[in-house]
Amino acid sequence: MTANALTDLNVMVAGQGGDGSLTVISVLAELLARRGYHLYMSRNVASRIKGGHAEATMRGSLLQRGCLGDHIDLLVAFEQEAVDMAATRMAAESIIIFDASDGALCRDALAPNVRVVEIPFGRFAVRDLRRDLFKNSLSFGVLSHILSIDEGEATNCLHHIFRRLPQDAIAANTKALNRGRQYASELYAQQDRWTLADAERSEQLLISGNEAIAFGFLLAGGRFFAGYPITPATEVLESLQKHSVRFEAVAIQAEDELAAANMALGAAMTGVRSMTATSGPGFALMQETISHAGSAEIPLVVVNCQRAGPSTGMPTKPEQSDIDMMVFGANGDFPRVVLAPGEPRDCFELSVQATNLAQQLQCPVILALDQAVGQNSSTIEPFDLDAVQLQPGKRLDASELRNMSEYRRYQVTADGVSPWAVPGTPGGESLVTGNERNEWGQVSSNPQNRRTMVDKRQRKLDSNLQLLPRGKSWGDADASIGLLGIGMQQGVIEEAQQRLTAAGLRIKCLQPRTIWPVIDETLDFIRSSKRVYVIEHNQAGQLARLLLAAGASKACIGSIRKYDGEPFSPGELCSEIQQAEADRQGESGQ
Amino acid sequence: MTKTYQPNEPIWCAGCGHYGVRNALLAAFRQMQVESHQAMVLAGIGCAGTLQNNVSAYGYHALHGRVLPAATGAKLANPRLDVIAVGGDGDGYAIGCGHLIHSFKRNPGVVYILMNNGTYGLTKGQHSPTADAEETDEQAFDGVQLGLSIPGSGFIARGSSASPVQLQALMVAAMEHTRAGKGFAFLEVLSPCVTYNDTYPAWAGRMVNVDALAEYDCGDRIGAFTAVNSLLVENRFATGLIFKQDGKSPERRRLDSGQAPLCDLDISPDRQLSGFREIMAGYGV
Repeated sequence: MTANALTDLNVMVAGQGGDGSLTVISVLAELLARRGYHLYMSRNVASRIKGGHAEATMRGSLLQRGCLGDHIDLLVAFEQEAVDMAATRMAAESIIIFDASDGALCRDALAPNVRVVEIPFGRFAVRDLRRDLFKNSLSFGVLSHILSIDEGEATNCLHHIFRRLPQDAIAANTKALNRGRQYASELYAQQDRWTLADAERSEQLLISGNEAIAFGFLLAGGRFFAGYPITPATEVLESLQKHSVRFEAVAIQAEDELAAANMALGAAMTGVRSMTATSGPGFALMQETISHAGSAEIPLVVVNCQRAGPSTGMPTKPEQSDIDMMVFGANGDFPRVVLAPGEPRDCFELSVQATNLAQQLQCPVILALDQAVGQNSSTIEPFDLDAVQLQPGKRLDASELRNMSEYRRYQVTADGVSPWAVPGTPGGESLVTGNERNEWGQVSSNPQNRRTMVDKRQRKLDSNLQLLPRGKSWGDADASIGLLGIGMQQGVIEEAQQRLTAAGLRIKCLQPRTIWPVIDETLDFIRSSKRVYVIEHNQAGQLARLLLAAGASKACIGSIRKYDGEPFSPGELCSEIQQAEADRQGESGQ
Repeated sequence: MTKTYQPNEPIWCAGCGHYGVRNALLAAFRQMQVESHQAMVLAGIGCAGTLQNNVSAYGYHALHGRVLPAATGAKLANPRLDVIAVGGDGDGYAIGCGHLIHSFKRNPGVVYILMNNGTYGLTKGQHSPTADAEETDEQAFDGVQLGLSIPGSGFIARGSSASPVQLQALMVAAMEHTRAGKGFAFLEVLSPCVTYNDTYPAWAGRMVNVDALAEYDCGDRIGAFTAVNSLLVENRFATGLIFKQDGKSPERRRLDSGQAPLCDLDISPDRQLSGFREIMAGYGV
């Protein structure tokens, strides 16, 4: 490894939507991956097709990280607004590469130690190459010079990303790259260049949570998906549409969320593993269907990739404010499972488990993502495909049915799960309904039957708790302070804990992966701690409230919340916790 | 033989049009030699939405207005099933009307029997979308007119519970249409509610049976649209097989392209590991 090489680098490329910020990041990602860095990528866009402020941020680090860093080290800005918006996040001694096509940068908002390289990319791109779009490759040329990358390596990365473009486009981009390198070498001092590490490159996937959900679902035998486009969940639909033909699966775009969820129910009844995916507003529309799946006992997986609410809220921003709706929403009492993955590998694993669990419990299983988990991409080790196993649940085939003297779709059983036959199976004719009914499926409002049936459905959950995924815990198991968070908090908590531990604070952490029902593991973690900080992205403290209702002691729970649409940075979370600890000590000292 | 549920007696009032619908459906099943395990009868909410309890089949009681998406999912997943969706005019023309439009457009091999009685019977007599304009200050909705206006609609018929022989024939034609992979078959049945909106006498003189008109061509969309609209202007309505055009259902397109029914797929992951590995490799960096 090179001496003084960068171990952790946060790069932002920002401009107007359509400027091509993602292209620059993609080429840089290729470069960093070749140098053995782990990657974490996030995009921040306005809710419009083109225009509006758009930024792509990537963290390259030699340690695996699950979030962006506290500061930006390198900013490629195609406009003044991009600099103004990022100004407070710029690290000391950071570098801004600025497109000065519309004039010199006004650096009023910047700290004096931020260095600025001003090059009119756009103007040069039009002048030399006749197209504004080539400013992207030009800016990558500048970047590659600053990062001490030689021409061959920079060109290789660019060619890899553009490998599907026509030859003349590749040639033009290569020319742009070299122009950029040339300008940079004239403008940027040789001695101020940075150096990348050259670590061993391991086999990695760069995948988003939404893509991992789709992939896990297919692997778990999911063959029917219906969805309605909604930010930030659309990639689940798009991924499945892309891969469906190969597995003879169906991924259908419905006319609305009601149709999507009910199509999935219809397919699920025939025994085909089915899923729908949406975000908060769509999930609200699906409430009735989720209750129905709970009542009629139909296996259904529903993905809710949460965005900032209420109502239309901030469609492109993350939040965790649908916890109440996922856990308590919809009419009536019925069993449901809510699982919350924290990163792409988790998304894959829990997608497999959710698909299995729906079959095993014959009830709705909800996958609770948030925009950051769903849309941000990170590098992970390849999935262990051989480890995936299908759990068929209590499905009856024709020969099993033939040997039974009678078949009752809603037979009362010890664990509440009734054996079931799907349409087309001789002898399995049945009535499936959201009405209260007797074991035969015939509508009934008999009080005793009612109690029996409500209890039977609830028993499916209560007697199968061992099937529910455990959380991930780490840190100092004997510590008295605990950090607890789900979804996008996981990566931030992990890094904050490492820093706090380094600063002498003993800390343990839990990322619960089953959030409903609240399982013993979660409560035991809280009970064994003096204080647990519940870290979440919503104003009301929905997760903390859920844990309190489940029996956590109020004196023990500290609630750390954010709801501005921006994820916590590790540093921000560290300060919050240190402040909360200081406040506690202040109180106990008085 | 495995014993399973016994169909209930209907909950409908004596004289309800829906008895005629059920009887015609049972007769059509017999005529088409439908085996009870191969039929899936999905029903909406309301009086019409209890029909599935009164036939021997795989029955499903859907949410209000959502019977068509559920039926679409079931048919796409198992194209061997005779998928029959049933419901009332409130279910299909009010709360579920968006799905009706898209079912015409999507064209799944589903028979949809919509029992139109111009009222909300189960909630005791509120106006439905097809209620007479004189009573509601709103113009009555016409599902046949809607269906004809949507490109891709391929089977539009209207029967009456007062004409059981024709009704059975229309149901058989609808099932043949879906079984042949031609797609969605829409059959509205004028099925009066004798308690809240007894339209037997009022409708009797207003129906014009196009099956009996020698010059009527049910393959001509423009002609059908003109005829249906002309009759509506005269405060009458067409019955019979109003429009028929051969399309191709999505489940048939799947089968024609060599893909197996979803319900028959071997989903064990090790059967397709190479495919999964290839997709995973696509995410490699």
